[in-house]
Amino acid sequence: MSSYNGKLIRLNLTTGKSQVEEIPRQWLKDFLGGRGLGVKYLYEELKPGVEPLSAENKVIMMMGPLGATTAMSVSRMALATKSPLTGAVSKSIMGGSFGAFLKFAGYDGIIVEGESAKPVYLHIDKEGIHLLDAADLWGLDTQQTHQRLREKHGKSTQVACIGPAGEKLVRYSVLISDLRVGGRTGVGTVLGAKKIKAFAVNSSGPLSLHDADGFKKLTKEIIEGLKTSPGRIKMSDFGTSYLTLSLEKDGIFPIKNFQEGHLEGVEKIGDEALASIKIKNDGCYGCMTKCGQVRKVTGGTYDGAVSEGPDYETIWSLGGNLANTDIGALIAADSLCDKLGLDTVSAGNSIGFAYELYQRGIITREDTDGLELNWGDPAPMMTLIQKISDREGLGKLLGEGTKRAAAQIGKGAEDYAMQVKGLELPGYEPRAVKGYGLIFATSNVGAHHMYGRPRAELAGKKDKLTEVDKGKDAADAEILQATQDTVIQCAFSPVTGFNAQQRSELLVMATGFKEFADPAYLDKVGERTLCLERCFNVREGFDRKDDTLPKRMRTEPLKDAGPATGQTFKNLDGLLDEYYDVLGYTRQGIPSEAKLKELGLDSVVADMKKFSK
Amino acid sequence: MSVRVKLPPALQELGGGVETLEVSGRTVAECLEELEARLPGIKEVLLDRQGKLLRAFGIYLNENVLRPIELDTTVRDGDEIVILNFLMGG
Repeated sequence: MSSYNGKLIRLNLTTGKSQVEEIPRQWLKDFLGGRGLGVKYLYEELKPGVEPLSAENKVIMMMGPLGATTAMSVSRMALATKSPLTGAVSKSIMGGSFGAFLKFAGYDGIIVEGESAKPVYLHIDKEGIHLLDAADLWGLDTQQTHQRLREKHGKSTQVACIGPAGEKLVRYSVLISDLRVGGRTGVGTVLGAKKIKAFAVNSSGPLSLHDADGFKKLTKEIIEGLKTSPGRIKMSDFGTSYLTLSLEKDGIFPIKNFQEGHLEGVEKIGDEALASIKIKNDGCYGCMTKCGQVRKVTGGTYDGAVSEGPDYETIWSLGGNLANTDIGALIAADSLCDKLGLDTVSAGNSIGFAYELYQRGIITREDTDGLELNWGDPAPMMTLIQKISDREGLGKLLGEGTKRAAAQIGKGAEDYAMQVKGLELPGYEPRAVKGYGLIFATSNVGAHHMYGRPRAELAGKKDKLTEVDKGKDAADAEILQATQDTVIQCAFSPVTGFNAQQRSELLVMATGFKEFADPAYLDKVGERTLCLERCFNVREGFDRKDDTLPKRMRTEPLKDAGPATGQTFKNLDGLLDEYYDVLGYTRQGIPSEAKLKELGLDSVVADMKKFSK
Repeated sequence: MSVRVKLPPALQELGGGVETLEVSGRTVAECLEELEARLPGIKEVLLDRQGKLLRAFGIYLNENVLRPIELDTTVRDGDEIVILNFLMGG
């Protein structure tokens, strides 16, 4: 008995056939689940140089060993592919309930490969696995798609789908399950290229566990403790919106495409303003915190708009980044992105890029279809979101992501593209919290806020502005995140779930794998996952030159940013050396033979030797 | 009137590593004023530009960690105030 089903669905969209196959037992032990198994399958099955939007690319959807159990904050799904934004490995974690019900149906994951000639969707129920025609779904937004599939298969059907943006290959399209989103780095785009609109599952629990009684007893104890956890209550009350005012005060909340660090009137989109329009909580399967904040606009231009969120990142991307303090527009823009299936971070960042180009005269009204892109005016933002999804006018260019858009525009536009490896920066100013800057630079998926967090700096336990002695912190943070993403536990699980020791106990009781009893073993799983992601990238031609930050961060003193005013990022090279040394990578940023062998990645040694100079 | 205040690690540095101290005051705000006099800069960390407590922090009274208290909450002799820091990113 084990919480692992030990099986996945391999869906070939070119042939229209699916098969069920075993997941190698040793892979479960070495990579645990989620993001770990995701990159393992990608590395083994993708040839280097595959075009991300071709039939040769694959999408790996993988659950973790605790998913669908009664443990808190664990029923999440990892998505991995070769990113159409970056050409690098991607990782994204999607909440909701779809993954839990996939496990109830008997599968730990789905590998999507090939390319369909016509739109299709996958339906899984007790009768089997069915690839069905999606002609009537193609073109629908994500909410309409959920509704249509529930009309067809029943109200309890769990759904994950792409929106019109994914169908039209906007490079930062996402996968959405109810009100939860997964897919920074363009997983939805790859699914759109494969013409698979949705996944639907009808199933019911419970799952088998190795030691069901012990698991039940421990989860009950954990839940009792969580009932009085102040951090969990804070997340339930506010989600991550409570971060905005503190981070803005410290100059960490980037304003006007990272030009400055102070937003007049920021409290209009602060935690209390958002709490005042909250109508209910929402969250993932089995989670008692339900950190999602469903909010509704009453009155004004955006009367009636409802969204789950915005979370901190979207408060930034569609709010502060554009100097937009109109709470109604913020909710409406978040809702529109979710319906269209767009990543709010890359969408808001790309729109901020356009606003700055307009400010500097690099683009004019002739390029914007007549829109005047003035900071603080949200109306053009709403129009641009729709245009991005429709791939129309300036929106078509912005839907390529800032790196590609800047290359096409020329005229120095690349200086204003706030991206790393092609992935748009999230809402943390690297010059104001240097540890985050280092993580953005080294992240194998590009600048991603969930690739590791410099907790000591954010909590004020370590100086945010110094540029020495941060390599180990960054490496540790990335390993911690990778470990969490293999379990898969929510990033907030230290306050909404369990501690490292409890995690080990739960894993052993769920799976029966004794190795998981040692938290250090799990840390190694995280490090192995992080390392294999780097190996994937090295094989694609990435190295130290790609571990960088936008020129603005390195050369332009930050303006009006409280304690961070005047800061630049001066010692990225020194911090990279620290980081590589800690992780056992060469100074080129390539894992050394010794480190690969230590992590049991011997099979990768020959590949890496080809690239080491 | 003596109130014991427990500080989160990030604020302990302001006082050279002190974890707890005794202050006097009838409300949380009054206690905070005395804290500021002894640990200059603490209000800058805890309050927003309008002087309201930032939600990234929480102040709790005695062992009641279910709901944070506000600046105008009355405190009594012998009470313990616990300040928690929730800044962790996301």
